[in-house]
Amino acid sequence: MNESHPVIRFESVPIVEGSLHRLEEFRPQLLESVTAETVRELSVLSPSLASQAAQNPYEGLLGEALFSEKQRLRREKPTVFTKNRYKNDKLLWSQVQAALLKSPVERDRGEIMSRVLSHYAEEIGGHFDARIYRLATKMVPWTFSWLLNAASVKRVLPWGMTQSLSSRLRIVGEVPHLQNLSKKGTILLVPTHQSNIDSPLVGYVIYLMSLPPFAYGAGLNLFSNPLLSFFMSGLGSYTVDRKKTSAIYKQVLKNYSVQILERGIHSIFFPGGGRSRSGAIEQKLKLGLMGTALEAQLQNLKQGKPNPNVYVVPMVTSYHSVLEAGSLIDDFLLESGKSRYLSYGDDSWHLQSVLRFFWKFFSSSSGVTVRIGRPMDVFGNLVDENGRSIGPNGTCIDPKAWLTSGGELAPEKQRDQEYTRELGKSLVERFHADNTVLTSHAVAFVLFEALRKLYPDYDLYRFLRMSGSQRVVTLDRFLVEAAKVHSRLRELADRGKVFLSKEFYTTKSEDWVEDGIRHLGLWHDSAVIRKADRAVWSDDLSLLYYYRNRLSGYGLSELLPKERGTSRGIDKKGFLA
Amino acid sequence: MGSIKKDFWRKSTVAVVGGGSWGTVLAQIVAEHCAEVRLWVREEERAREINATKSNVDYVPDLHLRSNIKALSDGERIFEQKPQLIIWALPSDVSREWAIKLAPFINGDEFIIHATKGIEPTSFKRMSEVLSEELPCRRIGVISGPNLALEIARSEPAAAVVASNFEEVREAGKYLFTNPAFGIQTSEDVIGVEWAGTLKNILAIAAGIVEGRKLGWNTRSLLLTLGLGEMVRLGQMLGAKPETFFGLAGVGDVLATSSSDLSRNFRVGLRIAQGEPLLKVLEQLGSTAEGVRTARLVAQFAKVNQVFMPVTQAISDILSLSESESADSQKLVQAIDRLFTEPLGWLS
Repeated sequence: MNESHPVIRFESVPIVEGSLHRLEEFRPQLLESVTAETVRELSVLSPSLASQAAQNPYEGLLGEALFSEKQRLRREKPTVFTKNRYKNDKLLWSQVQAALLKSPVERDRGEIMSRVLSHYAEEIGGHFDARIYRLATKMVPWTFSWLLNAASVKRVLPWGMTQSLSSRLRIVGEVPHLQNLSKKGTILLVPTHQSNIDSPLVGYVIYLMSLPPFAYGAGLNLFSNPLLSFFMSGLGSYTVDRKKTSAIYKQVLKNYSVQILERGIHSIFFPGGGRSRSGAIEQKLKLGLMGTALEAQLQNLKQGKPNPNVYVVPMVTSYHSVLEAGSLIDDFLLESGKSRYLSYGDDSWHLQSVLRFFWKFFSSSSGVTVRIGRPMDVFGNLVDENGRSIGPNGTCIDPKAWLTSGGELAPEKQRDQEYTRELGKSLVERFHADNTVLTSHAVAFVLFEALRKLYPDYDLYRFLRMSGSQRVVTLDRFLVEAAKVHSRLRELADRGKVFLSKEFYTTKSEDWVEDGIRHLGLWHDSAVIRKADRAVWSDDLSLLYYYRNRLSGYGLSELLPKERGTSRGIDKKGFLA
Repeated sequence: MGSIKKDFWRKSTVAVVGGGSWGTVLAQIVAEHCAEVRLWVREEERAREINATKSNVDYVPDLHLRSNIKALSDGERIFEQKPQLIIWALPSDVSREWAIKLAPFINGDEFIIHATKGIEPTSFKRMSEVLSEELPCRRIGVISGPNLALEIARSEPAAAVVASNFEEVREAGKYLFTNPAFGIQTSEDVIGVEWAGTLKNILAIAAGIVEGRKLGWNTRSLLLTLGLGEMVRLGQMLGAKPETFFGLAGVGDVLATSSSDLSRNFRVGLRIAQGEPLLKVLEQLGSTAEGVRTARLVAQFAKVNQVFMPVTQAISDILSLSESESADSQKLVQAIDRLFTEPLGWLS
C-alpha cells in the first residue's frame, strides 16, 4: 500500500533535468571562480594567522596548511584506490615546503597560494554524468525490490515481484511545496543524519519527488570504495575531506558550496556534520556550512538575478532501526564519558552484519518514513507557496531589507552569523516537530525510563553497567508507563510538536507496544528489548539508550530536573534530557 | 566592528514611538546625531502642542526640544522618511497592539532599540520577542539602565546599556545615544538586560514600601540584597548571564529606582504603605508603573517553576491586598510587616 504523499508515484518517474546537468559545461569557470573568490577573501580577511607575518598575509596561512597537511599525510595509510590522490598530495606539499623555504622575492607567495587553492578546488569539485544518474535511479529501486522479494516471498528472480518499494518507503510532508519552490529559487535540503544509508536514500527520494538531481558533499572516505566512487563522482557530489583542517581548505570548500548554490544547483547538507552519535535528533548544527545559503542569496540579490532566493528545507528520516547504532552510541559514550565508559569496538560494517541487517529489514515489514518539513528562508522564517518569507505572526518579510545595513546591500560578518545562528535554532525546532515517532522509539523510551525510575540515583555510566537481573520491569509496570508516554506523545502531536506513526492512534497501549517490541527486538544481535513471561527487559542498555534518545529533547522524561528551564542538553547524571 | 559609517547616521531619520518622558528624552539625545527625529504620540493635539512649544509639557516640561524633533500622531508619517532606527518607548501592555498597527509602515531594514522595562502580561514574553513577532524586522536591541528621565533631561551625568545580538545595533546605539553627559555600554546579553529592567521595578515598589513605613537604610538594603539574588536566580533560569545583574542594567537600575521618588514604582510602594488603596494610587499616577503588573506575573511564574523568590511573592501579596482590602485593613498591615520580618528567618 502506498502511504506516501499522493504526488509521489513509485513507477515510471521521469528524470527532471536541472542546473546540475550542465555542471560539466561550466565546471572549469566554476573552479576558477571559487579559487579567485578564495584568494580575494584570504587577502581581505587576513585572519589572526596572517598577522604573524605582517609582510605577507599568505605566509602564515600557507605555513599552517603545510603543517597540518604534513601531519595528515604522515598519519594516513593509502589504499590501492587512494594511492594516486595520496601521491599527488604528497608531491604538492613537498613542493610548497621547498618554495616556502625560499624568500618571497624568489618565490611569490601569491603564486604558491593559487596553486594550493586550485589543487583543493579540483579535489572538491564534483562531476555530473547524466548516464550514471539514469543508471543509479534505475538500480536503486531494482535492488530494493529484488531484496524485498527475495527476503519476503523467497523469490530471487526480478520478474513476478509482488512487493514494491512503495510499501516500505513513506514520503510525506510538504512535497508539493518543495516541488513548487524548486522552480522559484535554489533548494538547500537539510536532512537529519542517522545512518550511512541516508545518502543514497535522500538521493533516491529526491528523484521520486520529480526534482532535478541535487549536489551534495560526500566524505572523501566514501570515494575509496570503487563502486561508491563510480556513482558518487558521476552524481554531482563534491568531496569533503574532514581530515583536512587548514583554514585555506575550509574556505575553498565553503566557496564551492556558495557558488553552486548561486548557480541554482540545488544542494544537500547534513547540517549535524556527521551521523547522530547519540541517536537523538540533531541539536547542534554546523553553522559554517549553513551560512553558505545566506551568502549565496546575498550574492544573487546583489547581482539582481531573477530567482535569487535560497530555500532551506528540512527533511527528517525515521528508521525503526539503524544498522550502525551500536558503534554510533559507543562513539558517543566514549566521547562524553571518557574513562568512565568501556568500548566494545566496532564491527557493524562487517559484511556479515550488513547482510544480516538488510535481510532482517526486508523480511520484516518495517518501513522508513521520510518527512519533508516546511521550507524556510535563510533566516529561519517560514516561506509561503509563493516563496515569500513570512514572520512569526504572518508579517511578510523582505530578505533584501534584512541584508541591508547602512543603506547598502552587502555582507556583514557578525550580522550574517547571527542570522545563520537563528536559522540553526529554527531548524532544530523544525527537526523535532517534523520527526515521526515510530513505535520502536517509544518502547525504547518507555523501558529506559521505567528502569531509570527503579534506580533514580544511578548516573548514566553506572546505569549502563547494571546487571542482567536489574534490567527487567514487569509487563504491568511497563504498560502503565507506556500509557503515560502515549498520552504525552498524543498531546505533543496535537500541539504540532511532533508526528506519530499511525500505530499510535489506538486506544490500547498493548497494540503499539507489541508493534514496537516486534520491530526493535529483531534487528541487533543482542536484544534491545524483549518481552516474555509478563516481563520486559533489555540485553543491551547502550543500544536501548540510543533508541530512547530519539525522543530526547521533547521534555518527555518525568525525571527531567525541575530547576532547568530547558528540555534539551545533558542533565547532571549524564542522561540526555 | 560594524561597518556603518557615522556620516550615515548624520543623514538619517530616527523614529521614536512613544512620547512619554523617556521616549522624549531619548529623542532629544539622538537628535544631536541625526538629521531628523520623528516622535510619535497618540493624540494629534499633543503633537501640535509639542511642535508649537518645543516642549513635552506633560512629561518633561523643562526640556527644550531640539529643532529637528518633530512630533506626529500619524503612524504612516512617522515612517515616511524611511528611518534607519526606531526607538520603541511604549508601555509593555500596549506594545503588541501598536506593533501590529505600525507593522505595515515598516520596511525591515530598520534597527529597533526598545526602552520598555517590562514583559508582556499575557504571554510572559520579553519586549524584543514581542516586537520580533509583530514587526518585519529582526535587528532588535534594548536600552536599559539607571536612567531617571528627568535627571537625564537636566543633563546630569548618567549611563545605560544597549544590548543586542547584532553588533551593528549595539554600535548604532552606542554612537547615537552617547553625549558628553550620557555614556553607553554595550552587551550581548539581551535576555539579561531585559529581565533586569523588568525585575528591578518590583524592588522599587519594595523600597517605596520601606520609605512609606519610615524605615531606614538597613531594612531597605536587606530587601534589595535579597531581591537582587532573586533577580539573578530567575534570570539564570531564563537564560540570562548572572553578571548582567551586577552591571548598570541590574544593580545600577535597582539603586536608582529604589531610592528616588522620581520612580513611579517607588511612589506606588510609598503610597500604599502609607495606606492609600492601589487603584487610587495608580489612577493619580497618570503614567504606567510596570512593577505592579510584573510583580504578580513573576510571583506566579516563580511559584509554578519553583524559583525561590520570597520578596517578589510578598510584594505581589501586598499589591493584591491593597487592591481588594480597605487601606487600613489588618491583613494588609500584617502583609507589609511580614515583608520586613520574614527575611530574617530566611537567613541561615
